[in-house]
Formats: sequence, C-alpha cells, structure tokens
Amino acid sequence: MTGLPALSSRIVPPRSKYSMSNLIHPDFSRSAKSMSGELSIQSLHKQYPLEKKRLNVLEDINLNILPGEFVSIVGPSGCGKSTILRLVVGLDADYQGRILLDGDPIKSTCTERGIVFQDHRLFPWMTVADNIGFALINRDVPAAEKRDIVARNIQRVNLGGFENAYPHQLSGGMAQRAAIARALVNEPKILLLDEPLGALDALTRLYLQAELQRIWIEHRSTMIMVTHDVEEALFLGDRVVVMQSNPGRIKRVVNVPLDHPRDRSSPVFHRLKDEILEDLIDTDSAAQAKRAKAEFYSLPRADVG
Amino acid sequence: METLWDFSAFAKRLKGFVLPVLLLLAWEVVSKKSHAYALAFVPLEAIASSLLEVVQSGSLFTNLIASLSTASTGLLIGGSVGLALGSLMALNQVADKFVGPVFHTVRQVPLLGWIPLIGLWFGNGLLAKTLVVCLASFYPMVLNTYEGLKNVEKNHLEVARVLGVSRWQTYRYIFIPSALPFIFTGIFHALAFSWISTVGSELLFTAGPGLGSLMQTAQMSARMDIVIVCVLSIGVTGLLMNVSFTRLSRHLLRWRVTR
Repeated sequence: MTGLPALSSRIVPPRSKYSMSNLIHPDFSRSAKSMSGELSIQSLHKQYPLEKKRLNVLEDINLNILPGEFVSIVGPSGCGKSTILRLVVGLDADYQGRILLDGDPIKSTCTERGIVFQDHRLFPWMTVADNIGFALINRDVPAAEKRDIVARNIQRVNLGGFENAYPHQLSGGMAQRAAIARALVNEPKILLLDEPLGALDALTRLYLQAELQRIWIEHRSTMIMVTHDVEEALFLGDRVVVMQSNPGRIKRVVNVPLDHPRDRSSPVFHRLKDEILEDLIDTDSAAQAKRAKAEFYSLPRADVG
Repeated sequence: METLWDFSAFAKRLKGFVLPVLLLLAWEVVSKKSHAYALAFVPLEAIASSLLEVVQSGSLFTNLIASLSTASTGLLIGGSVGLALGSLMALNQVADKFVGPVFHTVRQVPLLGWIPLIGLWFGNGLLAKTLVVCLASFYPMVLNTYEGLKNVEKNHLEVARVLGVSRWQTYRYIFIPSALPFIFTGIFHALAFSWISTVGSELLFTAGPGLGSLMQTAQMSARMDIVIVCVLSIGVTGLLMNVSFTRLSRHLLRWRVTR
C-alpha cells in the first residue's frame, strides 16, 4: 500500500471497514499522472443573449477541484450546471472569469478533458470499437497499439464481446458505457459527466453508479458529474456542489465525510441527502416566490431572471 | 413444416410474375387477331427469333455495352461533381449564397430543353450524350448531398470538436457517413436518370452505337420486333441496376435502425 498516492488515503482512511485494496487497480503507474488535473474556476460569469437582453446564466462561480477528486454538482433545472461543464470542456469560450486546468487557461477543446453526455452520442455508423477508436484518431501511435488501447478500454467498461456491435444494437446502459470508454481512451486529466445516467432506468443507474466508482478508483482522474439525483451525487462525490438558479450560483458546497464505497443506508448519508434536498426545494420555492412577485408587479420576466 | 414454409416463400416470389405472364398472354391474343395487329404487336415467337438474331450477330451486346459505358461515365462524372458541389453549398454559406440561385434556376430547365444547345455546341456524338447524362445525374446528387449534410446532428459535431478532430476528418468521418442515406438516395435517382437519359440522348443524338441508336435504326427500317427487343433490354438492364444497388446500399447502411 506504500505505493499509493496520498490522495487515496484521503478517500480511504485506514480505519475503513471496507478494504479498498481489492478495488484499486494494480497499475499504479497511472496514478502519478493523475496527480495533475487540478481545476480552478475563478469568478466565472456567463450570459446568454435573450431577446436583446443578456440573461445571467452563471454568476460568480468559484470552485477549486483537487487532482483526483470526484465532485458532484446538483441543482434545479436551468441553474447552469451543464453550462459549467460545456465551458470547462471548451465547447463555449464566451464567458468572463478564469477557468484553469493545472494553471493553464482553457481556450478550446482538448483531449486532456473528456466529456460524457446524457445522450450517449455514439456515431450510429460506427461499431463500438470504431467509436472508441475514433477518439484516438489524432494520437500518434501505431494502429496495432490503438487497437490494444481500444480493447483495454472496452474491457474497462465491461463491454467485451460487443466490439463489433452497432449502437442501435446496444441497450441504453451499454451505449453509455461505450461513451464512457470513448471519453476515457485518451486518459484525460479530467472527466466531465453531464447527467450520464439521467436517461437510464433505476436498476441500470444503480449498476452504472457502482461502475463509475470502480472506473474512477482505477483511473484516478479528476471527475465532475452533473446530476439531478441527490443520492447519486452523494454516493459518488467527495464533495457535492449545490447550485441555485436565476441566476446560476453556487449555494453551498457539501463535504461528504464518508468512505468509498458508500453505504446508502448510513445515517450520515441520509442526513446529508435530506439537507441537500431541503436546499434544493428551498431555492426552488424562493425562485418561485420571486417569479410570482415579479408577475404581480408585471415586470418583464427577464429582469428577475 | 419446413417444406410448407419454403413453398409459401416461393409462392410469394411467384406473385411478381403473375402480371407479366398475363400481359404476355394479352399480347399474344392481340397479335393473333389479324395481320394488321401483328405489325404493331409482333407475335412472341417473332420477338424471340429476332432476339436470337441480335444476340448472335453481337449487335445487342455491342450496343448494350456502348449504352452502359455512356451511362456509367456520365454517372461517375456528374455524380462526383454533384457530390462536390452539394458538399460545398451545404458546408460553406458563402458558396451557397453565390452558387445556389444559379443552380436552382438552371435545374428548372428540363433536360430536353438543353438538347438543341448541347447539339449545337458539342455535336451529336459521344461527348454530347455523355454531357446530357452528366447533367441528369448531377442534379439529384447535388440536392440529396446538400439535404443530407444539412441534416447532420449538432450533437455529433460537438463530439468531434471535443475529440479535437480536424475539419477534413469531420467531413470524412462525421458529415459523409451521417449523410450517407441521403447520398444513396441521390445515387439511386442519379442511376435511374442516367440510364433513362442515356437511351433518350441516343435516340436524339444518333451518331455512334447504343441501344437507343439501334432502336432508331430498327424503327427506320420498320423492324418493330427489334424495337421491342431493345425496349425489353433497356427495361431489364434498368431493373438489374436498381436491384443490385438496393442490395449494395442495404449492406452499406446496415448500421441504421431497421424499422
């Protein structure tokens, strides 16, 4: 266990009744690389144009995410939580403030940042292996090695045997696993998950939550997951960022002082879940009250948000 | 049980032959009515013997090959230029604004309308025929390629951006495959139009070999039997092209959800 980085001892204190040693991948060489992947979001503002006005989507977002940390973001619809991921991955450069990955500002997309969307977005004309291999298209390695990397990543998400299947032949959960493999194949410093399990049925969700955790422990990269599901956020996240809408702001950051893998029935887990749900309902009703007030005074809605 | 099923499949296939057989019977009845009728509705045995005649003399084969080569040359050139122009117009707004109006005006002119001009400029030989076929396969390719490329999913383009894929790679690996169903519809139409226009142009530009020319000559010498053999060969060849392309596209588009 001496080869483990300090990070994992934070996640798994030695007193843990769950031994993590059997969950951690023996290939520790990767963990050295994973010590990079520190994301720093500083006074981030983002506006969308809306009927000649500018709507504040994100207001003064400050967030520091440590290398190898798993951060969940929850919040009501329209609080801009997915927008944060779009900005971090580099799909949208129109914002104020600073987003730094290991100290370097993010300007555009790059394979050191991976993303998994809610819809798997696999290319229907490519097989699973080709979809995953496509992410390596500009990597300067021989074709044989690419095939090896793809095969390893297919194993990593337990899709062995489905290499040559087309996306329409897969179930929702399998397609999402293939999408995760595509995002992981470049060993990104940071993996962004935009409600990756949102469209799946409850059972598949539970299964894939455990899978995600296993992958996170093996991969040791920074991960940020946006979700609607508070329990999911708590199950996976070292911290849970609770957001509010109109404008999108961070309301609270909750530390989750529980060991991985987590026991969903533990009292602390339940208490935190209730707290966060209360926060969310609170922001929801506050926003509703604000909206009702605005309508009462017949102000244009865009003024309040 | 097995044999019963086989029989029903066979019966299903047989249905396609019912109508042709009925038509042949009707034809035979009419041709037997009188000598006057037999001039227009040549008796089946006369058709069979003249089919044998043109096959043995090799003139059917020579003319068929000539027609096929005109059709495929025109399809290849017109189709590729159509694919290129359709791509350019779909992916480049400036090009769309620049070329679009001219293209949409020109394509309103029916192919037959171009015949006098093409004849004047390029004579009545192979070049003129090929040009007509080029035009015939060009239009459907431009329109379908354009439509297909415009229909590419934004989500897929975002994935390409996230993966740091170049513009050319995006075109080659995202735009083209996702537009492939449309492009294949374009090729499918282009294929049919190229064959039709080949025969049509051979009827009008009579210099050189071709099924159309053979038909024209036969008509001049009042050989209705050979005209009918030509009509049948044109139809059967077109059908074969159609069927084989459908098979090919079904194989190449096997990634699509079968509905």
